[in-house]
Amino acid sequence: MKLRDDFPLPDLEWPPTRPFWQAAAEGRLAIPRCEMCGRYVWYPQATCYACQGTRLTWTPVSGRGRLFTWVSVQRAFLPQFAGEVPFVPALVALAEDPAVRLVTRLVDYDLAALTIDMPVEVVFRPLRFPGVAREVMAPLFKPTRD
Amino acid sequence: MGHSPADWGFASPYENVGGEVALVGAGEADHSKASGRSPREIAAQAIERALGDAGLRPRDVDGLMYTPMADHQFTAADFHQSFGTPHDLWVSTQGGGMVWAGSAPYEAALALRARKARCIVNVFAVAWATQRSDMVGGPGEVHAQELYKQNLEVPFGWFPQPVYFASIARRHMHAYGTTSAQLGAIAVACRRHANLTPAAVLHQKPLSLDDYLASPMLVDPFRKEDCCLISDGGAAYVMTTAERARDLRHPVIEVAGVGMGTSHTGVFWSQQGRGDARAFVSTPQVFSAPTAFAMADLTPADVDVLACYDPFTIVSLMQIEDMGFCPKGEAGRFVEGTRLHFDGGGLPYNTHGGMLSHAYVLGIAHVIELVRQLRGQAAAQVRDAEIAVYGGYTGPQASTLILRRQ
Repeated sequence: MKLRDDFPLPDLEWPPTRPFWQAAAEGRLAIPRCEMCGRYVWYPQATCYACQGTRLTWTPVSGRGRLFTWVSVQRAFLPQFAGEVPFVPALVALAEDPAVRLVTRLVDYDLAALTIDMPVEVVFRPLRFPGVAREVMAPLFKPTRD
Repeated sequence: MGHSPADWGFASPYENVGGEVALVGAGEADHSKASGRSPREIAAQAIERALGDAGLRPRDVDGLMYTPMADHQFTAADFHQSFGTPHDLWVSTQGGGMVWAGSAPYEAALALRARKARCIVNVFAVAWATQRSDMVGGPGEVHAQELYKQNLEVPFGWFPQPVYFASIARRHMHAYGTTSAQLGAIAVACRRHANLTPAAVLHQKPLSLDDYLASPMLVDPFRKEDCCLISDGGAAYVMTTAERARDLRHPVIEVAGVGMGTSHTGVFWSQQGRGDARAFVSTPQVFSAPTAFAMADLTPADVDVLACYDPFTIVSLMQIEDMGFCPKGEAGRFVEGTRLHFDGGGLPYNTHGGMLSHAYVLGIAHVIELVRQLRGQAAAQVRDAEIAVYGGYTGPQASTLILRRQ
């Protein structure tokens, strides 16, 4: 299987997610919102899953949410992550609409203190992988207080 | 069950085909670690054995079903090349393993009804143990190729399947109090069955609950033993009308009911149910199983032996509750002790060892095992088994196949 040379970084030019990564590069978290019904629509798609509206606008969100679930990876499944273990991929349900679950990674956490539904907030940190020259600013999340 | 699954998925509107189709031949290829064989060779071996079991010849077959996955097809051309047959075959790509190991008999029933075919083989083979080193994330490769995952999941290390399902397990543990020891009870039951089944890849390796709990985390809350094998192998089964089955050599194993359920969020486990947190820890069995049980005019209490597609312990646990063998959220307590053991007097489960301990042939060997159970030919034989159920799963979809010995 042939992958991009910079895998596992995201492809910043792929149209459906380009605005997401563009916003992250500027330190903002943005999610497409349906202009017809006001719902946030995640993952990005051409029409709203609820009302089939076709006008979706990338909209800034607070970056606050709840820890929906997480895991602690003890052994890397991809060689590019070998230097990262243990690390904590997570899903975060956004404060604006918990139906939006962002896939992310936790930072600045105490593993023993993590609990489901605890409050978290976005921080922007670069993703870097061995053998990949460039880096990409990404929305990661850290535990916070209510 | 008291829960209306709301709008995160749906049941396929299946016609009633109960009692129309029978499984008359069942065969497994050799299951092994990396073997150097191609999926095509493995599939041909499985078909040869299934036909031998049925007492039929390749030229008796006029229908072929397989999964349209690039490397796992066993097409009409492959069939003819393997068996030297020249005749026309009805072909369907709605067959093979995973969810289709359960739903292929439905498609076959419609084809038999329409007289498109009289004798149909469903086959699946895989050589991922051999191919693993060339794959990105092993069997995760198909997910690495998906562009939303490539751009919104993989960069964060949310990849591959063990990460998806450990995430689901963590949330299930939180929601319902499910414990590691309860997940371990599933792994232990499957291993005990594999220890009794000579063809199982882990036939020689025992596993106690203490062994399970002492083993290191792979992706917390999963240990290695929560995850399925990666092996080479395959299986095939032969279908014809229940009427014609009476003239063949084995007791008639009929398809009493079949169902199919689909999640709206497809392969994106991260989004399943959207705002519905309960759907995140569920499978489309909530849509599929009611269709199959209604068609069969049976309930879960009637089932003598169950086999579910089990890539991870949590997928077994969720299907058991989503099919209605216990209320939602109670499967953790339900599976404790020996309830899933073939001789435990409860719900004998994956009596060949499942994908955790028998072989990673994506569910089709589960159906073979159920046929053997209903004929009384299984290694870990359940006494007087008459009703057997297969729960198929792919993530986006689940299928339910109810088999009955006539």
